[in-house]
Amino acid sequence: MRPMTRLITGLGLHSAALIAFQLSLMQLISIVQWHHFAYMIISIAMLGFGASGTLLALSRERLLSASGWLVPLLMTASGFFMIFAFRITRLELFQFDVYLLFVERAQFPVLAANYLIYFIPFFTGALAIGILFIKHAGQIGTYYFSNLLGSGIGGLIVLFLFGNIYPQQVPPLIGLLSVTAGILSSGRRHILPNISLGAVSVLVAIYLIAQPGRIETSQYKGISQAMNLPGAEVIYSKPDIHGLIEVVSSPALRFAPALSLSFTGEVPVKKNIFVNGDFFGVVPEYKTGQKAHILDYTTQVFPWEIGKPGKVLMIDAGEGATLAQAMSRRPKHVDAIIDNGGVVEMMQTVFAEHSGGLYLHDSLDIHVVEARNFLASASDKEYDMIVLPQQESFGGSAGINALQENYSMTLESFSLMWDLLGPEGIITVSTWTDYPPRTSLKILATLTETARNKGIGSPVQHLAAVKSWGNITFMLKKQPFSLEAVEKIRHLCEELYFDPLLLPGVTLEERQRYHMSDDAEFFSIVDRIVEGDKKVIEDYSFMISPATDNKPYFSQFLRLGNIRELSGIYTTDQIPFLELGYLIVVVTLIQGTILAFIFIILPLLRLRKSHRGKGGTLLYFGALGIGYMFVEIILIQRFVLYFGHPVYALSAVISTMLIASGAGSLCSGRLPAIARFPAGIGLIITLMLLFYTFFLTPVLQSTISSPLTVKVMLSLLLIGVPSFFKGFMFPLGIRYLSSYDASQTPWAWGINGSLSVISTSLAMLIAVETGFMTVMTVAVVCYGIASTVFAFRKNFFRI
Amino acid sequence: MGTFNKTGAAVFILLFFISGFNQLTADEYERERNRMVRTQISSRGISDRATLDAMRNVPRHLYVPDVQRRYAYQDRPLPIGYGQTISQPFIVAFMTEIIEPGPDSKILEIGAGSGYQAAVLAEIVDQVYTIEIIRPLGEQARQKLNAQYDNVYVKIADGYHGWEEHAPFDAIVVTAAAEYIPPPLVEQLREGGKMIIPVGSPFQMQQLMLVEKGEDGRISTRSLMPVRFVPFERAN
Repeated sequence: MRPMTRLITGLGLHSAALIAFQLSLMQLISIVQWHHFAYMIISIAMLGFGASGTLLALSRERLLSASGWLVPLLMTASGFFMIFAFRITRLELFQFDVYLLFVERAQFPVLAANYLIYFIPFFTGALAIGILFIKHAGQIGTYYFSNLLGSGIGGLIVLFLFGNIYPQQVPPLIGLLSVTAGILSSGRRHILPNISLGAVSVLVAIYLIAQPGRIETSQYKGISQAMNLPGAEVIYSKPDIHGLIEVVSSPALRFAPALSLSFTGEVPVKKNIFVNGDFFGVVPEYKTGQKAHILDYTTQVFPWEIGKPGKVLMIDAGEGATLAQAMSRRPKHVDAIIDNGGVVEMMQTVFAEHSGGLYLHDSLDIHVVEARNFLASASDKEYDMIVLPQQESFGGSAGINALQENYSMTLESFSLMWDLLGPEGIITVSTWTDYPPRTSLKILATLTETARNKGIGSPVQHLAAVKSWGNITFMLKKQPFSLEAVEKIRHLCEELYFDPLLLPGVTLEERQRYHMSDDAEFFSIVDRIVEGDKKVIEDYSFMISPATDNKPYFSQFLRLGNIRELSGIYTTDQIPFLELGYLIVVVTLIQGTILAFIFIILPLLRLRKSHRGKGGTLLYFGALGIGYMFVEIILIQRFVLYFGHPVYALSAVISTMLIASGAGSLCSGRLPAIARFPAGIGLIITLMLLFYTFFLTPVLQSTISSPLTVKVMLSLLLIGVPSFFKGFMFPLGIRYLSSYDASQTPWAWGINGSLSVISTSLAMLIAVETGFMTVMTVAVVCYGIASTVFAFRKNFFRI
Repeated sequence: MGTFNKTGAAVFILLFFISGFNQLTADEYERERNRMVRTQISSRGISDRATLDAMRNVPRHLYVPDVQRRYAYQDRPLPIGYGQTISQPFIVAFMTEIIEPGPDSKILEIGAGSGYQAAVLAEIVDQVYTIEIIRPLGEQARQKLNAQYDNVYVKIADGYHGWEEHAPFDAIVVTAAAEYIPPPLVEQLREGGKMIIPVGSPFQMQQLMLVEKGEDGRISTRSLMPVRFVPFERAN
């Protein structure tokens, strides 16, 4: 193999390892802590890319002259660190807990140590790539192609590994890819150090893969709490692309959410299912002919009691007890949507006998798909009841789901559900009560607006809700509630010590017969929402307006503008525990911005040399950094709905984008490095994205029911074409820059890297506050800026 | 000068992070305790003399992990390991006052945790029965409580079943909230008795639920306003 071919192949392998390492770390940190904390760590680690640019700018000549031995060694070293970085952070000395960050100062140096440990493989890895890009700026198209193609393949590799080996075994395996890349790239003269380090890496990797151990999760995660119980043991564990599935058994694990205080029987012991350490549901023990279910002593019994549903649709029905309750009512047919195929497979095989063959029942069809995808393609069906899963968690979830896109709970979703209801159909959703009330009010606002949008003038006749000491169950009926149904609800409330919250003709006394609250305003707010008083929703201290597809964050309640007010009420130290998830993104953004400035921009500014036209470089490469990531985020969001499988959508979008961009960068080498090409191609991308802003959603909606092959072809076209053109932009820019001032190329690499670091959390923040349309608009503007910089290059580059 | 600044900063940072290990004297702890009662408890409306005295008497710092001692009298819950917390002082006082403990009362506590709540109750009532499901926590609590009190009985077991041999209880304090209230506990509550349960995620105990068993055996519940802070007022 020729040296250049070896170098390009090594670059591809190394790039695959870097992206796979990033994704595997996100998965691992999601298991140990929470998923958005993973973004926080990754944003720090990705600073390695930016910081490598800085070092290149500061020591360009020295690094380039040593590139022959340095690049392979950096690749090997990066792989070496990837192999054991995660395992080091699990040593007691380096274990931190996100909950404790707010109450234990000692957690901060531990967190900093974690950042450093994750930073090193990214920094060394990115430095190798940066040196190659700058050293071979003339053939940047080929090198960038290898980098992007490798990254795209890396995404697919990690997806395959997630489904087949334990997550903690993934980094050691993919670290070996970089080690191989290092050895492959080194010439005969420099092979010895790489071989030596490689041999050590292989030994360490073999040991870590052979001895994976169990991942110790945060003591505050559901699985840790369960494992503290006497006799607790993990009786099933399987890696899956949706996350690590574990089943815990203990004689002290019981399931009876907000059980009626009139219940005097024995609460059954249940095995609990955890996905990535979070409670997912229980393993039900279904018996054919079973008359009463434990959930029949909760508010979730009401929708089943006021009618005899024949056809039932259960959305996100992973929680086994709810499914068992439904089947115990012997409906004619149940369609259950469960997006976690791993859990379904487990229930249909390993626990099939234990669960009485529930998941294999003749009258049950399980659809392993995203709920919205099913709703959009089920227009020929009709249901008597649509059951949504219980929202929130006991005692409130402290906002950990705030940034979880939930397309089942948007207005558009409820509209589709309404259309699938038969004449006497009913939609039901339950929630844990939280304080201050947020979830219940948002559900009510969503149901009320759905009814109004469907032409119901007086939603109060169509709505009922029952509350217990810990739960509220809402019911929205297509027809007004009959007198008979109302009386049945009243009677059952009396029997189970529950109170009607919403019922035609309900009185204040009835509403608090068994469960009282000091919160006197709650009932009046409930009534005003049902009456359609928008002001009460707008004025509320938390965000309780319905979620939409444009802002699908049902569990996001925090209004940034109200933080000061909430601090006054709860004291500042409590705010993180009210809405932790969203605040972590805000903190990530601020932290990323500051660190990017300190470690990337500031050192570059300190360079004594004067760079002409730094504004152009900053604008062009900054705009590309933000624009590329924003488009990626939007496309993932849109294609999750389209394909119905978040993980597949994620990998399809990322891989298609990277591979198409790689092809674009390869082709860019055929174009001369003159300004009109980036200007023209930038304009093409801007126009394409502008078209997508308005027409992507309608195109996807109109083809959602098409055969899979049509959808795949269309997706490749929709994702691939703009990505192909985007692939031209970075290498053309680098080549242009190096042709008139090569010393600015590290700048470009650093700026592009630093803005990529902050763009993920920035996009999230924009999406939560103003919706995905704005994120897309910003992406359009970014590519518009990139095009303009070259269209008017004299103003920006001072040539 | 530059070197001195760097060294000074490093020392300062080190001191900042290890300052949690500093220990106070017994007198200083007592002063802290009195200040805690004055500023965090009585100022927020707790007026029951027995409760206030108990809060003054029980050395809270002995019931927290060593690394947390410095913060023992601060206005917040603290981690005690195993995903559990020792409640904020005000919560402990509030839960104690609301069950109206008397010198003859027999109280059941579910979730001994650090043992602090049981110690506070033991200062006031005749008998405290406390159950802890996590063995290491239960053993620590037993050791500490047995050293100080002869009216506290610690059992390491699943709190679901309560403590039937000593039932009925005048009040039940459930410090480790569960998603359901075990029927045996309701059963073991004397008619006219009260059960208090905090609801919330770790470090965020904002709501308490009071369960009352009427003389006719009927059960009612009440969500008490966020007791840690002033009542929640909405923007409008």
